[in-house]
Amino acid sequence: MDLAFTPEEQSFREEIRAWVATNLPPDISYKVFNALHLSRDDMQRWARILGEKGWLGHGWPKEFGGPGWNSVQKHLFEEECALAGAPRVVPFGPVMVAPVIMAFGNPQQQARFLPGIASGEVWWSQGYSEPGSGSDLASLKTRAERQGNSYIVNGQKTWTTLGQYGDWIFCLVRTSTEGKPQTGISFLLIDMSAPGVTVRPIRLLDGSVEVNEVFFDNVEVPAENLIGEENKGWTYAKHLLSHERTNIADVNRAKRELERLKRIAKAEGVYEDTRFRDEIAKLEVDVIALEMMVLRVLAAEKSGKQSLDVAGLLKIRGSEIQQRYSELMMLAAGPYALPLIHEAMEAGWQGDAVGALHCAPLALTYLNMRKTTIYGGSNEVQRNIVSQVVLG
Amino acid sequence: MDFDFSEDQDQLRDAVRKWVEKAYTFDRRRAIVADGGFSADAYRELAELGLCGMFVPQALGGMGMGPVEGMVAMEELGRGIVLEPVSQALIAGAVLSAYAPKTLASHWAPLVASGEKIISLAYQERAGRYRLDVCATSASRHGDGWTLSGTKSLVVAGDKANAWFVSATIDGTLGLFLVERASQGAGARGYGTIDGACAAELTLAQTPAQLVSRDGLAVLEHAVDIGIAVTCAEAVGVMDQTMSFTVDYMNTRKQFGVVISSFQALKHRVADMKMQLELARSMSYYASLKLNSPAPERRAAMARAKYQLGQSMRFIGQQAVQLHGGIGMTDEYVVSHYFKRLTQMEMLFGDTLHHLGEVSGRMQDGAGVFA
Repeated sequence: MDLAFTPEEQSFREEIRAWVATNLPPDISYKVFNALHLSRDDMQRWARILGEKGWLGHGWPKEFGGPGWNSVQKHLFEEECALAGAPRVVPFGPVMVAPVIMAFGNPQQQARFLPGIASGEVWWSQGYSEPGSGSDLASLKTRAERQGNSYIVNGQKTWTTLGQYGDWIFCLVRTSTEGKPQTGISFLLIDMSAPGVTVRPIRLLDGSVEVNEVFFDNVEVPAENLIGEENKGWTYAKHLLSHERTNIADVNRAKRELERLKRIAKAEGVYEDTRFRDEIAKLEVDVIALEMMVLRVLAAEKSGKQSLDVAGLLKIRGSEIQQRYSELMMLAAGPYALPLIHEAMEAGWQGDAVGALHCAPLALTYLNMRKTTIYGGSNEVQRNIVSQVVLG
Repeated sequence: MDFDFSEDQDQLRDAVRKWVEKAYTFDRRRAIVADGGFSADAYRELAELGLCGMFVPQALGGMGMGPVEGMVAMEELGRGIVLEPVSQALIAGAVLSAYAPKTLASHWAPLVASGEKIISLAYQERAGRYRLDVCATSASRHGDGWTLSGTKSLVVAGDKANAWFVSATIDGTLGLFLVERASQGAGARGYGTIDGACAAELTLAQTPAQLVSRDGLAVLEHAVDIGIAVTCAEAVGVMDQTMSFTVDYMNTRKQFGVVISSFQALKHRVADMKMQLELARSMSYYASLKLNSPAPERRAAMARAKYQLGQSMRFIGQQAVQLHGGIGMTDEYVVSHYFKRLTQMEMLFGDTLHHLGEVSGRMQDGAGVFA
């Protein structure tokens, strides 16, 4: 047992740190450090920089052009990126659909889709949730009917994150109503520029447009875009869920945001207030405990000796912590969090702030972060899963 | 970074677990509680396993082991809520070998390691609560030696111990002394504690003492930090076993015609307990892996760990009783005894609020395990 990273891991970290310091555009990290609005261009620029280096698919094995890093190296890479103020990589392409294509796609599909994901050129979206199918995802109704060499897709997806930018969308679609709901689902890749695909943005409580409804009206999808076998899509989706286990905790970002919370609390004069400071102290212990839990999982994956089934716990705890730091930042600003100035979310805004400039985005961020305990399998669903493992 | 246990550590775990399962049954424990909360026989058996000398160097008759071995053994003792004060032997072994004058160390360390003698840490005073620097017991010099006067509370197994490490002020600064039980003017009034174990009120009236260290606060802080780390480890064992009883009960107990583990409100409670257990385990690892760090880093780490463990212990203990319903309230069934042990451990070496204050007071820029 040893808490320290090996000398090789340390020098790996140094290498990543130096590269990020040189290559991350400062205007982007400024926005990340101050929780300002990131445009499509910001996200895409960083994705392409990573793509050029071969690190956008940083979790990929070598045979598919990835760096072939182990779990600890991946973690160190993500940590260095987060601490340097890099935007989170939009996960739908490189983290979510790519592993499914690698594991279950045919060589033609791999050759066709993976390069565009690796380079950051093609923007992918996720088509899972539907208006009637949230936690009960297997009840989904979007139909794909086989006609000759095509599927005709009809139905609606929703909560499609950043779908307004999407070039392609991977969807769970119903190809059969026989048997259990899970056994009639297929995994289909759909070109979002195809006739019959309509994206309608959903405005959220903080005024942002982050999620969308996606409508499919007699969309013709070539049958060659089916991943694996028909009616096996649920299995592939579950593989995807089990693929990335630790990054859902987002502990690296939590460390960065905890520091921001301290800065804001100092500037607003509450850091020396015992009652407020104790709340930050509690969060600090929460973050360290979460990080220890993440490190345990990484070490277990690296050594392969023990398996730790704590993915649900990481999601629950990570999301609670994200909400808590955004809440404490808002509370640190106090009444100065209340003025609603959407423009203040944009970098370079020169208008009149009420109070300190850093107070302006805090309430909107707090409002936005309520999503974290809902998405990715609500925390209540996660508790069901955790209890099933414990109770047997 | 590596959280696997070595083969030797696994063997140590197996040996202690086997002893707890075979030799320290709930019936035996119940008999020990009825008999005052300490068994000399059980303590000898623990010493024969080598546990009392884990933190004593081999040259002084011990095993020369480190914090991770200590953690492994204490987890297993926690599983059986073992009453005998192995944690005090670990503290004493480390204090003797790291801080005591050579003659003192070479006399006492082998006796602690073999289990022949028990030395217990006596620092608790009414005015101090959880603070280590508040001390009314005083030391005065008499020729070549020292005498101590004062009162110490809640000395673990204090009336079974052969000697005590006693904190006392020397002209306003804290010193740490060794006082033998047989010394003139020393009294130990024993009593039971809520967990079924025993402690003592120590009174010293111009009692002869040997100086361990003039830098008593630093030594006492280190001693207490060892206490925190091993208590965290022990607590993980207690909580793990408590969870296991609770899960078994929920999968057996039927109401409304079904097992109660089928109810979602109760399932979610179990998920929350599992969360607290894994956070606690993570922070127990953290405590043991930070135990040999420089003092400021070590102190901060122990405060964080004990804060987390305190919360986890209280939650898991309370919920285990709740989920057992009426049977959880009985003396006959095992779970209430685990709950009481957890309650006691939350208040040993600083409770949750105390350590929150420590974390808060020490908070700096930079956050995380490696900050």
